[in-house]
Amino acid sequence: MEQFKKKNLIYQILPLVSVSALILSWIAFSLATGGIIFPGPASVVRRILKTFETPIAGMTIIGHTLISLKRVLTGLFISCVSGISIGILVGSNRYLKATLGSFLEIFRPIPPIAWIPIMIMWFGIGELPKILLIVLGSFFPVMLNTASGISLVNKINLDVGQIFGGSKISILKEIVLPTALPSIFSGIRTSVSCGWTVVLAAEMMGAQQGLGLLVMKGWGINDMALVLGAVIIIAFIGAMFSYLLKRAERLLMPWNR
Amino acid sequence: MEIKGNDLEKLRLDHKKIENRNIFKFRILTVMTIIIFFGLWQFVADQGIVDSRTLPSPAKIYETFLAKLTKKAPDGNLLSANILASLQVSLFGFFSAVIIGVPLGLLMGWYKILDKTLTPIFEIIRPIPPIAWIPIVVVWMGVGLSAKVLIIFFSAFVPCVINSYTGIQLTNKTFINVSQTFGASNFTTFIKVGIPSSLPMVMTGIKIALGNSWSTLVAAEMLAASAGLGFMIQMGRQFARADVVVLGMVLIGVLGAILSFLFSSLEKYLLRWK
Repeated sequence: MEQFKKKNLIYQILPLVSVSALILSWIAFSLATGGIIFPGPASVVRRILKTFETPIAGMTIIGHTLISLKRVLTGLFISCVSGISIGILVGSNRYLKATLGSFLEIFRPIPPIAWIPIMIMWFGIGELPKILLIVLGSFFPVMLNTASGISLVNKINLDVGQIFGGSKISILKEIVLPTALPSIFSGIRTSVSCGWTVVLAAEMMGAQQGLGLLVMKGWGINDMALVLGAVIIIAFIGAMFSYLLKRAERLLMPWNR
Repeated sequence: MEIKGNDLEKLRLDHKKIENRNIFKFRILTVMTIIIFFGLWQFVADQGIVDSRTLPSPAKIYETFLAKLTKKAPDGNLLSANILASLQVSLFGFFSAVIIGVPLGLLMGWYKILDKTLTPIFEIIRPIPPIAWIPIVVVWMGVGLSAKVLIIFFSAFVPCVINSYTGIQLTNKTFINVSQTFGASNFTTFIKVGIPSSLPMVMTGIKIALGNSWSTLVAAEMLAASAGLGFMIQMGRQFARADVVVLGMVLIGVLGAILSFLFSSLEKYLLRWK
């Protein structure tokens, strides 16, 4: 028992030790390289605070963060609505699967980032091409997972629904969607991380605001503290997204674990 | 009404016949959809409904494809050189991620000490999108091969680790107990029970890693490169050659699909015991 307790204590301390080791090696590395190509935590924090006094491109860092968030959330909303509805159509109707499904399948292998240059040629660097790119990057996971989740529905359950006089809509709502929900949700999770990556890539290749712009701007003027600061904010928001989704998943599907 | 055995058999055969006919019908529909798509695209471009300088027709893209086989303009490389450069970068990054990531994930999932020390670090680094590494890596190492390989590595590393980690943690406890009851050491159990049972998840992780490494490649090359398909796209954009841009996109799509097909066949072969 005593030994068991000791072991548990070690397991609780170990994560703290390793995280502090990571931060210490960050500081050591920045000192060893002179602090310019890889600034330490203190100068990164100072750089971020400085953006509140001297805004970049007319905005504080919070403004840039909100712009990126607005873009990604708009794109994700469009993807989820269209992806789930098209997924339901393609997953439940074989004619639509052979036509609409295979039409969409033509575009799937092209990575969303490869669309960026042509989108800029077509639409410039405004909001529309960015939203479109996010939709391109996040639509397929939702659509495909919805379609495959729907095809998992047990035929017997559908028959029962019909025998008890359920209409098409109520069968969809009461039987099909609950069965497909876990699969749809894992599609949404993939979409969110894809969408977040794509919005950065789009902003890095041409934008007037956003976190991706901050990264590029810092890179361009050799201000690595700004680059690292933006990257840390990006990572933090990405982690928040996945945390919130996990919470939402538990709330929506308590039966699933 | 009484249904006899051979009636049932006949019903089953009829059903199968209808099903086969259906499969054929839907396959035709698929092919027709694709033909109509390309036909419409060609028509729209021919009729000048959209400007052919911004949306070139499929025929024009095919022409550009043939021309790029022998001409270096506009990006300064033959098409084959671009393709080889891209394959080299993405496969290098992919394989190093698999070689390091899979064993790491397996060990982290099996040994609690490693789990407690390495997982927090991994969780901190994981949410950084691979694209965000580009400036940092380029400032460190320039725009050479190793910088691009490192960026690809980051994108492929994460799914390798996560899936191996989860896969080995899902190992059936009964199997572990049986193996330990028969006197196997923890390490032997890890090798003989843990690893084989985690293989399907590991393979899925590797498949995701392959897709990631191919799609991140384009970003890495667009921002910093002197050859490769992503670089060709970027040059096409600078010279306002939409045909070169779309050709690059099509080739990336086709090569990506081929890579994932090859991997799926390999996966099916390796997991044939399932």
